[in-house]
Amino acid sequence: MKYLIIGDSAAGVNAAQTIRSKDKEGLITILSNESIAAYGRPLISYYLSGKVLPENIFYRNKNFYKKEKINLFLNTQAQEIDVKNKKVNAAQKEFEYDKLLIASGSLPLIPQIKNLKEQKNVFTFLTFDESRKIKESINPDSKVVIAGAGLIGLKAAEGLYGKVAKITVIDLADRVMASVLDKSAADIIQNHIEKKGIEFILNKSVAEVEGGEKVEKIILSDAKTLDCDIFIIAVGVRPNISLAKNAQIRTSKGIIVNEYMQTSESDIYAAGDCVESLDLISNESKVLALWPNAVSQGETAGANMAGEKKLVPSSFAMNAISFFGMQLISAGIIGGSDADIYVDKNGDKLRRLNIANDNLIGFVLINDNQRAGIYTALINDRVKLSELEYDIKLKDIGLNVYTKEKRRDKIFGKEE
Amino acid sequence: MKRIYAFEDKCLGCGLCEVYCRTAHSKSKDIIKAHKEENIVSGISIEEIMSPKSAFYFALQCRHCKDPKCVKACISGAMYKDENDIVRNNKDKCVACLSCVLVCPFGAIKKNTDGKAVSKCDLCVEVGSPVCVENCPNEAIKLLDEDSEILK
Ligand SMILES: Cc1cc2nc3c(=O)[nH]c(=O)nc-3n(C[C@H](O)[C@H](O)[C@H](O)COP(=O)(O)OP(=O)(O)OC[C@H]3O[C@@H](n4cnc5c(N)ncnc54)[C@H](O)[C@@H]3O)c2cc1C
Repeated sequence: MKYLIIGDSAAGVNAAQTIRSKDKEGLITILSNESIAAYGRPLISYYLSGKVLPENIFYRNKNFYKKEKINLFLNTQAQEIDVKNKKVNAAQKEFEYDKLLIASGSLPLIPQIKNLKEQKNVFTFLTFDESRKIKESINPDSKVVIAGAGLIGLKAAEGLYGKVAKITVIDLADRVMASVLDKSAADIIQNHIEKKGIEFILNKSVAEVEGGEKVEKIILSDAKTLDCDIFIIAVGVRPNISLAKNAQIRTSKGIIVNEYMQTSESDIYAAGDCVESLDLISNESKVLALWPNAVSQGETAGANMAGEKKLVPSSFAMNAISFFGMQLISAGIIGGSDADIYVDKNGDKLRRLNIANDNLIGFVLINDNQRAGIYTALINDRVKLSELEYDIKLKDIGLNVYTKEKRRDKIFGKEE
Repeated sequence: MKRIYAFEDKCLGCGLCEVYCRTAHSKSKDIIKAHKEENIVSGISIEEIMSPKSAFYFALQCRHCKDPKCVKACISGAMYKDENDIVRNNKDKCVACLSCVLVCPFGAIKKNTDGKAVSKCDLCVEVGSPVCVENCPNEAIKLLDEDSEILK
Protein backbone atom coordinates (compact mmCIF):
# COMPACT_ATOMS: atom_id res chain seq x y z
CA MET A 1 0.00 0.00 0.00
CA LYS A 2 1.31 3.45 -0.90
CA TYR A 3 0.27 6.25 1.44
CA LEU A 4 1.05 9.80 0.42
CA ILE A 5 0.61 12.81 2.70
CA ILE A 6 0.81 16.47 1.68
CA GLY A 7 1.87 18.58 4.65
CA ASP A 8 4.20 17.70 7.51
CA SER A 9 2.57 19.26 10.54
CA ALA A 10 0.00 18.43 13.23
CA ALA A 11 -2.41 16.60 10.91
CA GLY A 12 0.16 15.03 8.57
CA VAL A 13 2.52 13.71 11.24
CA ASN A 14 -0.25 12.18 13.34
CA ALA A 15 -1.81 10.59 10.29
CA ALA A 16 1.52 9.03 9.33
CA GLN A 17 2.13 7.79 12.85
CA THR A 18 -1.33 6.25 13.07
CA ILE A 19 -0.97 4.57 9.68
CA ARG A 20 2.35 3.07 10.79
CA SER A 21 0.81 1.71 14.01
CA LYS A 22 -1.71 -0.22 11.88
CA ASP A 23 0.29 -1.06 8.77
CA LYS A 24 3.90 -2.01 9.44
CA GLU A 25 4.79 -2.58 5.80
CA GLY A 26 3.08 0.14 3.77
CA LEU A 27 5.10 2.85 2.07
CA ILE A 28 4.49 6.20 3.79
CA THR A 29 5.66 9.41 2.12
CA ILE A 30 5.22 12.97 3.35
CA LEU A 31 5.72 15.99 1.11
CA SER A 32 6.49 19.32 2.75
CA ASN A 33 7.21 22.65 1.14
CA GLU A 34 8.96 23.80 4.33
CA SER A 35 12.69 23.65 4.97
CA ILE A 36 12.64 21.80 8.32
CA ALA A 37 10.78 18.78 9.70
CA ALA A 38 7.52 19.24 11.63
CA TYR A 39 7.71 21.72 14.47
CA GLY A 40 5.24 23.11 16.97
CA ARG A 41 3.82 25.82 14.74
CA PRO A 42 2.54 27.83 17.73
CA LEU A 43 6.13 27.87 19.01
CA ILE A 44 7.42 30.21 16.31
CA SER A 45 6.80 33.19 18.61
CA TYR A 46 8.83 31.50 21.36
CA TYR A 47 11.61 30.91 18.85
CA LEU A 48 11.45 34.61 17.92
CA SER A 49 11.78 35.68 21.56
CA GLY A 50 14.49 33.12 22.21
CA LYS A 51 12.47 31.27 24.88
CA VAL A 52 12.54 28.09 22.84
CA LEU A 53 15.85 27.02 21.39
CA PRO A 54 15.83 25.97 17.73
CA GLU A 55 16.63 22.37 18.68
CA ASN A 56 13.56 22.21 20.95
CA ILE A 57 11.06 23.42 18.38
CA PHE A 58 10.73 20.06 16.63
CA TYR A 59 7.45 18.23 17.15
CA ARG A 60 9.05 14.80 17.16
CA ASN A 61 12.47 13.36 18.05
CA LYS A 62 15.28 13.48 15.52
CA ASN A 63 14.95 9.78 14.70
CA PHE A 64 11.14 9.80 14.40
CA TYR A 65 10.86 9.56 10.60
CA LYS A 66 13.51 6.88 10.40
CA LYS A 67 12.07 4.85 13.23
CA GLU A 68 8.56 4.99 11.78
CA LYS A 69 9.87 4.38 8.26
CA ILE A 70 8.38 7.58 6.87
CA ASN A 71 9.98 9.11 3.78
CA LEU A 72 9.98 12.85 4.29
CA PHE A 73 10.61 15.11 1.30
CA LEU A 74 11.34 18.65 2.49
CA ASN A 75 11.33 21.71 0.19
CA THR A 76 8.92 19.78 -2.03
CA GLN A 77 5.82 21.58 -3.20
CA ALA A 78 2.95 19.37 -4.35
CA GLN A 79 1.71 21.12 -7.46
CA GLU A 80 -1.14 19.04 -8.73
CA ILE A 81 -3.20 16.00 -7.82
CA ASP A 82 -3.84 13.71 -10.76
CA VAL A 83 -6.92 11.92 -9.43
CA LYS A 84 -7.35 9.68 -12.46
CA ASN A 85 -3.82 8.26 -12.40
CA LYS A 86 -3.47 8.49 -8.60
CA LYS A 87 -0.38 10.65 -8.70
CA VAL A 88 0.79 13.88 -7.17
CA ASN A 89 3.10 16.03 -9.23
CA ALA A 90 5.89 18.03 -7.66
CA ALA A 91 8.47 20.13 -9.49
CA GLN A 92 11.06 17.41 -10.11
CA LYS A 93 9.19 14.28 -9.27
CA GLU A 94 5.93 12.37 -9.36
CA PHE A 95 4.56 10.53 -6.36
CA GLU A 96 2.11 7.66 -6.76
CA TYR A 97 -0.48 6.83 -4.13
CA ASP A 98 -3.16 4.34 -3.23
CA LYS A 99 -4.40 6.59 -0.40
CA LEU A 100 -3.72 10.30 -0.29
CA LEU A 101 -4.07 12.76 2.60
CA ILE A 102 -4.27 16.49 2.04
CA ALA A 103 -3.02 18.15 5.23
CA SER A 104 -2.01 21.43 3.67
CA GLY A 105 -3.11 23.62 6.59
CA SER A 106 -3.69 27.33 6.47
CA LEU A 107 -2.45 30.24 4.43
CA PRO A 108 -2.27 33.80 5.73
CA LEU A 109 -5.10 36.12 4.78
CA ILE A 110 -3.78 39.19 3.00
CA PRO A 111 -6.13 42.16 3.20
CA GLN A 112 -6.58 44.72 0.44
CA ILE A 113 -4.01 47.43 1.16
CA LYS A 114 -3.09 50.04 -1.40
CA ASN A 115 0.51 49.77 -2.69
CA LEU A 116 1.13 46.52 -0.85
CA LYS A 117 3.46 44.42 -3.01
CA GLU A 118 6.12 42.04 -1.85
CA GLN A 119 8.16 44.72 -0.11
CA LYS A 120 11.23 43.40 1.69
CA ASN A 121 10.07 44.31 5.18
CA VAL A 122 6.57 42.84 4.91
CA PHE A 123 6.05 39.54 6.67
CA THR A 124 3.34 37.10 7.68
CA PHE A 125 3.67 34.94 10.80
CA LEU A 126 2.77 31.36 10.05
CA THR A 127 6.01 29.48 9.55
CA PHE A 128 9.40 28.93 11.11
CA ASP A 129 11.10 30.43 8.05
CA GLU A 130 9.00 33.57 8.32
CA SER A 131 9.83 33.87 12.03
CA ARG A 132 13.53 33.39 11.27
CA LYS A 133 13.41 36.10 8.59
CA ILE A 134 11.77 38.51 11.04
CA LYS A 135 14.40 37.67 13.63
CA GLU A 136 17.14 38.49 11.11
CA SER A 137 15.50 41.75 10.02
CA ILE A 138 14.87 43.46 13.35
CA ASN A 139 17.20 45.63 15.40
CA PRO A 140 16.74 47.53 18.67
CA ASP A 141 15.63 50.65 16.76
CA SER A 142 12.96 48.91 14.67
CA LYS A 143 9.45 50.28 14.67
CA VAL A 144 7.14 47.33 14.13
CA VAL A 145 3.55 47.58 12.96
CA ILE A 146 1.36 44.50 13.24
CA ALA A 147 -1.97 44.34 11.40
CA GLY A 148 -4.28 42.08 13.40
CA ALA A 149 -4.85 41.73 17.16
CA GLY A 150 -5.90 38.11 17.04
CA LEU A 151 -3.92 35.20 18.44
CA ILE A 152 -1.20 35.31 15.78
CA GLY A 153 -0.72 39.10 15.85
CA LEU A 154 -0.51 39.18 19.64
CA LYS A 155 1.87 36.24 19.66
CA ALA A 156 4.10 38.05 17.16
CA ALA A 157 4.05 41.10 19.44
CA GLU A 158 5.04 38.97 22.42
CA GLY A 159 7.86 37.35 20.45
CA LEU A 160 9.26 40.75 19.50
CA TYR A 161 8.87 42.36 22.91
CA GLY A 162 12.11 43.80 24.26
CA LYS A 163 13.92 43.35 20.95
CA VAL A 164 12.61 46.39 19.06
CA ALA A 165 11.95 50.09 19.78
CA LYS A 166 8.21 50.16 19.23
CA ILE A 167 5.35 47.76 18.58
CA THR A 168 1.95 48.97 17.36
CA VAL A 169 -0.94 46.55 16.83
CA ILE A 170 -3.85 47.59 14.62
CA ASP A 171 -7.24 45.90 14.36
CA LEU A 172 -10.53 46.63 12.72
CA ALA A 173 -12.46 45.19 15.67
CA ASP A 174 -13.11 47.10 18.90
CA ARG A 175 -11.12 44.59 20.95
CA VAL A 176 -8.28 42.08 20.89
CA MET A 177 -8.94 38.38 20.11
CA ALA A 178 -12.35 39.42 18.79
CA SER A 179 -13.27 35.97 17.51
CA VAL A 180 -12.71 34.35 20.90
CA LEU A 181 -13.44 36.97 23.56
CA ASP A 182 -16.17 39.38 24.52
CA LYS A 183 -15.21 42.97 25.28
CA SER A 184 -14.76 42.65 29.04
CA ALA A 185 -12.44 39.65 28.79
CA ALA A 186 -10.58 41.23 25.87
CA ASP A 187 -10.02 44.40 27.92
CA ILE A 188 -8.20 42.48 30.64
CA ILE A 189 -5.82 41.00 28.07
CA GLN A 190 -5.36 44.32 26.27
CA ASN A 191 -4.60 46.26 29.48
CA HIS A 192 -2.07 43.67 30.50
CA ILE A 193 -0.26 43.88 27.15
CA GLU A 194 -0.45 47.68 27.09
CA LYS A 195 1.38 47.78 30.41
CA LYS A 196 4.35 46.31 28.56
CA GLY A 197 4.42 49.37 26.31
CA ILE A 198 2.74 47.82 23.29
CA GLU A 199 0.35 50.24 21.61
CA PHE A 200 -3.08 49.29 20.25
CA ILE A 201 -5.03 51.14 17.59
CA LEU A 202 -8.50 49.57 17.42
CA ASN A 203 -11.52 50.17 15.18
CA LYS A 204 -9.08 51.03 12.37
CA SER A 205 -7.56 49.20 9.45
CA VAL A 206 -4.46 49.69 7.33
CA ALA A 207 -5.54 51.47 4.14
CA GLU A 208 -2.26 52.10 2.38
CA VAL A 209 1.49 51.69 2.65
CA GLU A 210 4.18 54.08 1.39
CA GLY A 211 7.83 53.65 0.55
CA GLY A 212 10.06 52.10 -2.09
CA GLU A 213 11.67 48.71 -1.76
CA LYS A 214 10.56 48.78 1.82
CA VAL A 215 7.37 49.95 3.48
CA GLU A 216 8.23 53.15 5.37
CA LYS A 217 4.85 54.51 6.34
CA ILE A 218 1.51 52.97 7.20
CA ILE A 219 -1.62 54.97 6.46
CA LEU A 220 -4.68 54.03 8.49
CA SER A 221 -8.34 54.14 7.52
CA ASP A 222 -8.69 57.47 9.37
CA ALA A 223 -5.70 58.89 7.41
CA LYS A 224 -3.41 58.84 10.43
CA THR A 225 0.14 57.71 9.56
CA LEU A 226 2.70 55.60 11.39
CA ASP A 227 6.43 55.16 10.75
CA CYS A 228 7.27 51.55 10.00
CA ASP A 229 10.44 49.48 9.65
CA ILE A 230 8.81 46.06 9.89
CA PHE A 231 5.24 45.34 8.82
CA ILE A 232 3.65 42.07 9.94
CA ILE A 233 0.33 40.99 8.46
CA ALA A 234 -1.61 38.81 10.89
CA VAL A 235 -5.25 39.47 10.13
CA GLY A 236 -6.20 35.82 9.99
CA VAL A 237 -5.81 32.58 8.12
CA ARG A 238 -7.73 30.77 5.40
CA PRO A 239 -7.79 27.08 4.54
CA ASN A 240 -5.24 26.10 1.90
CA ILE A 241 -7.55 24.34 -0.53
CA SER A 242 -6.17 25.12 -3.98
CA LEU A 243 -4.77 21.62 -4.60
CA ALA A 244 -8.11 20.05 -3.74
CA LYS A 245 -10.10 22.60 -5.68
CA ASN A 246 -8.02 22.20 -8.82
CA ALA A 247 -8.53 18.45 -8.61
CA GLN A 248 -12.33 18.98 -8.52
CA ILE A 249 -12.56 17.73 -4.95
CA ARG A 250 -15.55 19.22 -3.14
CA THR A 251 -14.69 22.38 -1.25
CA SER A 252 -16.53 25.26 0.30
CA LYS A 253 -14.57 27.51 2.65
CA GLY A 254 -12.51 24.46 3.47
CA ILE A 255 -12.29 20.99 1.98
CA ILE A 256 -15.51 19.04 2.59
CA VAL A 257 -15.02 15.71 4.35
CA ASN A 258 -17.26 13.09 5.90
CA GLU A 259 -16.96 11.73 9.44
CA TYR A 260 -14.10 9.47 8.32
CA MET A 261 -12.17 12.49 6.98
CA GLN A 262 -12.77 11.28 3.45
CA THR A 263 -13.22 13.84 0.67
CA SER A 264 -15.56 13.54 -2.31
CA GLU A 265 -12.87 11.31 -3.88
CA SER A 266 -12.94 8.06 -1.90
CA ASP A 267 -9.16 7.47 -1.88
CA ILE A 268 -8.37 11.03 -0.91
CA TYR A 269 -8.64 12.17 2.69
CA ALA A 270 -8.13 15.61 4.20
CA ALA A 271 -7.48 16.78 7.77
CA GLY A 272 -6.53 19.79 9.86
CA ASP A 273 -6.78 23.50 9.14
CA CYS A 274 -7.64 22.91 5.47
CA VAL A 275 -10.99 21.18 6.14
CA GLU A 276 -14.38 22.12 7.49
CA SER A 277 -15.48 20.29 10.63
CA LEU A 278 -18.85 19.92 12.23
CA ASP A 279 -18.97 22.20 15.25
CA LEU A 280 -20.52 20.31 18.18
CA ILE A 281 -22.15 23.38 19.67
CA SER A 282 -23.55 25.24 16.68
CA ASN A 283 -23.98 22.10 14.57
CA GLU A 284 -22.58 24.05 11.63
CA SER A 285 -19.77 23.15 9.29
CA LYS A 286 -16.85 25.40 10.25
CA VAL A 287 -13.14 25.77 9.80
CA LEU A 288 -11.62 25.17 13.24
CA ALA A 289 -8.00 26.10 12.73
CA LEU A 290 -6.63 24.68 15.95
CA TRP A 291 -3.77 22.37 16.76
CA PRO A 292 -5.65 19.72 18.84
CA ASN A 293 -8.31 19.49 16.16
CA ALA A 294 -5.68 18.94 13.46
CA VAL A 295 -4.09 16.17 15.55
CA SER A 296 -7.38 14.31 16.14
CA GLN A 297 -8.41 14.63 12.51
CA GLY A 298 -4.99 13.48 11.32
CA GLU A 299 -5.24 10.39 13.55
CA THR A 300 -8.73 9.64 12.29
CA ALA A 301 -7.74 10.06 8.65
CA GLY A 302 -4.69 7.84 9.19
CA ALA A 303 -6.72 5.07 10.80
CA ASN A 304 -9.25 5.09 7.96
CA MET A 305 -6.56 5.22 5.29
CA ALA A 306 -5.06 2.10 6.87
CA GLY A 307 -8.39 0.31 6.51
CA GLU A 308 -10.10 0.89 9.87
CA LYS A 309 -13.48 2.51 10.26
CA LYS A 310 -12.93 5.31 12.73
CA LEU A 311 -15.25 8.25 13.36
CA VAL A 312 -13.75 11.64 13.94
CA PRO A 313 -14.19 12.91 17.53
CA SER A 314 -16.50 15.87 18.02
CA SER A 315 -14.88 19.25 17.91
CA PHE A 316 -15.50 22.81 18.93
CA ALA A 317 -13.37 25.91 19.34
CA MET A 318 -10.92 25.84 22.23
CA ASN A 319 -7.74 27.60 23.09
CA ALA A 320 -5.12 27.95 25.78
CA ILE A 321 -2.61 30.73 25.37
CA SER A 322 -0.55 33.02 27.49
CA PHE A 323 0.40 36.59 26.76
CA PHE A 324 3.22 38.01 28.86
CA GLY A 325 2.45 35.59 31.66
CA MET A 326 -1.30 36.19 31.61
CA GLN A 327 -3.12 32.93 31.04
CA LEU A 328 -6.17 32.67 28.84
CA ILE A 329 -8.16 29.46 28.49
CA SER A 330 -11.38 29.35 26.53
CA ALA A 331 -13.66 26.86 24.83
CA GLY A 332 -17.01 26.78 23.13
CA ILE A 333 -18.82 29.93 22.14
CA ILE A 334 -18.73 33.44 23.53
CA GLY A 335 -22.48 33.61 23.86
CA GLY A 336 -25.44 35.39 22.39
CA SER A 337 -28.40 37.08 24.00
CA ASP A 338 -30.59 34.27 25.29
CA ALA A 339 -27.76 32.40 26.89
CA ASP A 340 -27.18 32.69 30.57
CA ILE A 341 -23.82 34.30 31.06
CA TYR A 342 -22.21 34.16 34.41
CA VAL A 343 -19.17 36.32 35.19
CA ASP A 344 -16.91 36.13 38.20
CA LYS A 345 -14.33 38.90 37.90
CA ASN A 346 -11.71 39.94 40.35
CA GLY A 347 -8.96 42.27 39.12
CA ASP A 348 -6.94 40.37 36.56
CA LYS A 349 -8.87 37.18 37.17
CA LEU A 350 -11.95 36.20 35.23
CA ARG A 351 -14.23 33.20 35.07
CA ARG A 352 -16.99 33.51 32.52
CA LEU A 353 -19.43 30.68 31.93
CA ASN A 354 -21.90 30.54 29.11
CA ILE A 355 -24.86 28.33 29.96
CA ALA A 356 -27.86 27.51 27.78
CA ASN A 357 -30.63 24.95 28.29
CA ASP A 358 -28.93 23.36 31.28
CA ASN A 359 -25.69 22.86 29.30
CA LEU A 360 -22.36 24.59 29.53
CA ILE A 361 -21.66 25.82 25.99
CA GLY A 362 -18.63 28.01 26.52
CA PHE A 363 -16.20 29.42 29.07
CA VAL A 364 -13.37 31.89 29.40
CA LEU A 365 -10.84 31.72 32.20
CA ILE A 366 -8.18 34.35 32.68
CA ASN A 367 -5.46 33.65 35.26
CA ASP A 368 -7.73 30.99 36.70
CA ASN A 369 -6.73 27.80 35.07
CA GLN A 370 -6.94 24.97 37.55
CA ARG A 371 -8.96 22.05 36.23
CA ALA A 372 -10.23 23.92 33.17
CA GLY A 373 -10.47 20.57 31.37
CA ILE A 374 -13.43 19.58 33.52
CA TYR A 375 -15.39 22.48 32.03
CA THR A 376 -14.27 21.36 28.57
CA ALA A 377 -15.53 17.85 29.34
CA LEU A 378 -18.90 19.24 30.49
CA ILE A 379 -19.25 20.92 27.09
CA ASN A 380 -17.97 17.93 25.14
CA ASP A 381 -20.15 15.37 26.93
CA ARG A 382 -23.18 17.71 26.90
CA VAL A 383 -23.63 17.08 30.60
CA LYS A 384 -26.89 18.28 32.11
CA LEU A 385 -25.79 20.76 34.74
CA SER A 386 -28.81 20.06 36.95
CA GLU A 387 -27.55 16.49 37.38
CA LEU A 388 -24.29 17.60 38.95
CA GLU A 389 -23.50 17.72 42.65
CA TYR A 390 -23.34 21.51 42.83
CA ASP A 391 -23.99 24.65 40.84
CA ILE A 392 -20.84 25.20 38.78
CA LYS A 393 -21.37 28.96 38.95
CA LEU A 394 -20.92 29.02 42.68
CA LYS A 395 -17.53 27.43 43.18
CA ASP A 396 -14.34 26.32 41.49
CA ILE A 397 -14.74 23.19 39.46
CA GLY A 398 -13.39 19.78 40.53
CA LEU A 399 -14.07 16.15 39.80
CA ASN A 400 -16.24 16.37 42.92
CA VAL A 401 -18.86 17.99 40.70
CA TYR A 402 -19.88 14.54 39.47
CA THR A 403 -21.99 12.14 41.48
CA LYS A 404 -20.18 9.45 43.40
CA GLU A 405 -20.94 6.70 40.86
CA LYS A 406 -19.98 8.82 37.90
CA ARG A 407 -16.76 9.91 39.57
CA ARG A 408 -15.87 6.33 40.41
CA ASP A 409 -16.45 5.26 36.82
CA LYS A 410 -14.21 8.04 35.63
CA ILE A 411 -11.40 7.37 38.09
CA PHE A 412 -11.60 3.61 37.58
CA GLY A 413 -11.31 4.07 33.82
CA LYS A 414 -14.74 2.61 33.06
CA GLU A 415 -15.45 5.27 30.47
CA GLU A 416 -12.38 4.57 28.35
CA MET B 1 -0.89 -1.39 32.73
CA LYS B 2 -0.72 -0.56 36.42
CA ARG B 3 -2.35 2.67 37.52
CA ILE B 4 -3.05 4.39 40.79
CA TYR B 5 -6.65 4.22 42.00
CA ALA B 6 -8.29 6.30 44.70
CA PHE B 7 -10.80 4.88 47.16
CA GLU B 8 -12.77 7.73 48.58
CA ASP B 9 -14.35 5.72 51.40
CA LYS B 10 -10.89 5.32 52.86
CA CYS B 11 -9.35 8.74 52.26
CA LEU B 12 -8.85 10.84 55.38
CA GLY B 13 -7.79 13.91 53.43
CA CYS B 14 -4.56 14.03 55.41
CA GLY B 15 -2.48 15.26 52.48
CA LEU B 16 0.52 13.00 53.10
CA CYS B 17 0.39 11.85 49.48
CA GLU B 18 0.90 15.42 48.33
CA VAL B 19 3.78 15.92 50.75
CA TYR B 20 5.57 12.77 49.60
CA CYS B 21 4.90 13.54 45.95
CA ARG B 22 6.49 16.98 46.24
CA THR B 23 9.46 15.60 48.12
CA ALA B 24 10.06 12.78 45.64
CA HIS B 25 9.97 15.25 42.76
CA SER B 26 12.29 17.78 44.42
CA LYS B 27 15.97 18.19 43.74
CA SER B 28 16.95 17.91 47.38
CA LYS B 29 14.66 14.94 48.21
CA ASP B 30 14.42 16.59 51.60
CA ILE B 31 10.93 17.04 52.97
CA ILE B 32 11.64 20.44 54.55
CA LYS B 33 13.73 21.90 51.74
CA ALA B 34 11.29 20.64 49.10
CA HIS B 35 8.47 22.55 50.74
CA LYS B 36 10.29 25.64 51.97
CA GLU B 37 12.70 26.29 49.13
CA GLU B 38 11.70 24.41 46.02
CA ASN B 39 8.05 25.31 45.70
CA ILE B 40 7.02 22.13 43.91
CA VAL B 41 3.57 21.44 42.54
CA SER B 42 2.27 18.06 43.61
CA GLY B 43 1.18 15.60 40.93
CA ILE B 44 -1.57 14.32 43.21
CA SER B 45 -4.21 16.46 44.89
CA ILE B 46 -6.85 15.95 47.47
CA GLU B 47 -10.36 17.01 46.59
CA GLU B 48 -13.05 17.58 49.14
CA ILE B 49 -16.68 16.54 48.86
CA MET B 50 -18.94 18.51 51.11
CA SER B 51 -22.03 16.72 52.30
CA PRO B 52 -24.60 18.09 54.73
CA LYS B 53 -23.18 16.14 57.65
CA SER B 54 -19.45 15.92 57.02
CA ALA B 55 -16.70 16.20 54.42
CA PHE B 56 -15.29 13.35 52.36
CA TYR B 57 -12.07 13.31 50.42
CA PHE B 58 -10.37 11.61 47.53
CA ALA B 59 -6.91 11.88 46.00
CA LEU B 60 -6.52 12.27 42.29
CA GLN B 61 -3.70 12.30 39.80
CA CYS B 62 -3.11 11.70 36.09
CA ARG B 63 -5.05 8.64 34.89
CA HIS B 64 -2.50 7.86 32.17
CA CYS B 65 -5.41 7.54 29.75
CA LYS B 66 -5.26 5.02 26.92
CA ASP B 67 -5.99 7.76 24.43
CA PRO B 68 -4.68 10.83 26.24
CA LYS B 69 -6.27 14.11 25.23
CA CYS B 70 -3.33 16.06 26.67
CA VAL B 71 -0.88 14.41 24.28
CA LYS B 72 -3.07 15.33 21.32
CA ALA B 73 -3.54 18.89 22.48
CA CYS B 74 0.14 19.52 23.18
CA ILE B 75 1.38 22.13 20.70
CA SER B 76 5.06 21.46 21.28
CA GLY B 77 5.34 17.68 21.41
CA ALA B 78 6.38 17.88 25.08
CA MET B 79 3.59 15.64 26.35
CA TYR B 80 4.03 12.04 25.28
CA LYS B 81 3.22 8.45 26.14
CA ASP B 82 6.42 6.57 26.90
CA GLU B 83 7.24 2.96 26.01
CA ASN B 84 5.53 1.81 29.24
CA ASP B 85 2.34 3.75 28.45
CA ILE B 86 3.10 6.36 31.09
CA VAL B 87 2.04 9.86 30.05
CA ARG B 88 5.02 12.14 30.64
CA ASN B 89 5.98 15.74 30.02
CA ASN B 90 9.36 16.83 28.68
CA LYS B 91 10.08 20.06 30.57
CA ASP B 92 12.67 21.21 28.02
CA LYS B 93 10.00 21.34 25.34
CA CYS B 94 7.02 22.45 27.43
CA VAL B 95 6.15 26.17 27.11
CA ALA B 96 3.30 26.08 29.67
CA CYS B 97 0.66 27.06 27.11
CA LEU B 98 -1.77 24.96 29.18
CA SER B 99 -3.43 23.28 26.20
CA CYS B 100 -3.17 20.08 28.26
CA VAL B 101 -4.93 21.76 31.20
CA LEU B 102 -7.64 22.86 28.78
CA VAL B 103 -8.44 19.29 27.76
CA CYS B 104 -7.67 17.06 30.76
CA PRO B 105 -11.12 15.84 31.85
CA PHE B 106 -9.77 15.04 35.32
CA GLY B 107 -8.16 18.40 36.00
CA ALA B 108 -5.01 16.45 36.81
CA ILE B 109 -2.40 18.72 35.20
CA LYS B 110 -1.18 21.90 36.83
CA LYS B 111 1.03 24.81 35.97
CA ASN B 112 4.35 24.90 37.78
CA THR B 113 4.99 27.71 40.21
CA ASP B 114 7.74 29.08 37.96
CA GLY B 115 5.21 29.22 35.11
CA LYS B 116 7.64 27.59 32.69
CA ALA B 117 6.14 24.13 32.43
CA VAL B 118 3.33 21.96 33.70
CA SER B 119 3.43 19.22 36.30
CA LYS B 120 1.67 15.93 36.49
CA CYS B 121 1.99 12.47 37.96
CA ASP B 122 4.70 10.39 36.28
CA LEU B 123 3.99 7.30 38.41
CA CYS B 124 7.37 7.99 40.05
CA VAL B 125 9.22 6.33 37.17
CA GLU B 126 12.47 7.86 38.29
CA VAL B 127 11.96 7.02 41.95
CA GLY B 128 10.95 3.39 41.53
CA SER B 129 7.46 2.98 42.86
CA PRO B 130 4.80 5.62 43.58
CA VAL B 131 5.54 7.32 46.89
CA CYS B 132 1.95 8.45 47.37
CA VAL B 133 0.78 4.85 47.46
CA GLU B 134 3.59 3.75 49.73
CA ASN B 135 2.99 6.48 52.25
CA CYS B 136 -0.78 6.54 52.38
CA PRO B 137 -1.64 5.64 55.99
CA ASN B 138 -5.06 4.20 55.18
CA GLU B 139 -4.64 2.43 51.82
CA ALA B 140 -6.86 5.01 50.14
CA ILE B 141 -4.69 4.97 47.04
CA LYS B 142 -3.47 1.76 45.48
CA LEU B 143 -1.33 0.76 42.54
CA LEU B 144 -3.37 -1.82 40.68
CA ASP B 145 -3.62 -3.58 37.36
CA GLU B 146 -6.40 -2.05 35.31
CA ASP B 147 -8.28 -5.37 35.22
CA SER B 148 -7.93 -5.90 38.96
CA GLU B 149 -10.95 -7.49 40.74
CA ILE B 150 -11.56 -4.66 43.22
CA LEU B 151 -12.16 -2.22 40.38
CA LYS B 152 -15.13 -4.19 39.09
C1 LIG C 1 1.85 31.88 15.64
C2 LIG C 1 0.80 30.82 15.77
C3 LIG C 1 0.31 30.47 17.03
C4 LIG C 1 -0.66 29.49 17.16
N1 LIG C 1 -1.09 29.16 18.41
C5 LIG C 1 -1.98 28.18 18.57
C6 LIG C 1 -2.39 27.76 19.87
O1 LIG C 1 -1.94 28.29 20.88
N2 LIG C 1 -3.30 26.77 19.98
C7 LIG C 1 -3.83 26.15 18.87
O2 LIG C 1 -4.65 25.26 19.01
N3 LIG C 1 -3.45 26.51 17.63
C8 LIG C 1 -2.55 27.51 17.45
N4 LIG C 1 -2.17 27.86 16.18
C9 LIG C 1 -2.81 27.17 15.03
C10 LIG C 1 -2.12 25.84 14.74
O3 LIG C 1 -0.77 26.04 14.53
C11 LIG C 1 -2.77 25.17 13.52
O4 LIG C 1 -4.12 24.92 13.80
C12 LIG C 1 -2.08 23.85 13.16
O5 LIG C 1 -0.75 24.07 12.82
C13 LIG C 1 -2.80 23.14 12.00
O6 LIG C 1 -2.10 22.00 11.62
P1 LIG C 1 -2.21 21.38 10.16
O7 LIG C 1 -1.39 20.15 10.18
O8 LIG C 1 -3.62 21.28 9.77
O9 LIG C 1 -1.61 22.47 9.17
P2 LIG C 1 -0.30 23.37 9.19
O10 LIG C 1 0.34 23.38 10.51
O11 LIG C 1 -0.69 24.67 8.59
O12 LIG C 1 0.66 22.60 8.19
C14 LIG C 1 0.44 22.42 6.84
C15 LIG C 1 1.74 22.13 6.16
O13 LIG C 1 1.55 21.80 4.81
C16 LIG C 1 2.50 22.48 4.01
N5 LIG C 1 1.96 22.58 2.65
C17 LIG C 1 0.89 23.29 2.24
N6 LIG C 1 0.70 23.13 0.91
C18 LIG C 1 1.66 22.29 0.48
C19 LIG C 1 2.00 21.76 -0.80
N7 LIG C 1 1.29 22.06 -1.88
N8 LIG C 1 3.06 20.93 -0.88
C20 LIG C 1 3.79 20.62 0.21
N9 LIG C 1 3.51 21.10 1.43
C21 LIG C 1 2.47 21.93 1.57
C22 LIG C 1 2.64 23.80 4.73
O14 LIG C 1 3.80 24.50 4.38
C23 LIG C 1 2.69 23.33 6.16
O15 LIG C 1 3.96 22.92 6.54
C24 LIG C 1 -1.19 28.85 16.01
C25 LIG C 1 -0.71 29.19 14.74
C26 LIG C 1 0.27 30.17 14.61
C27 LIG C 1 0.78 30.51 13.23
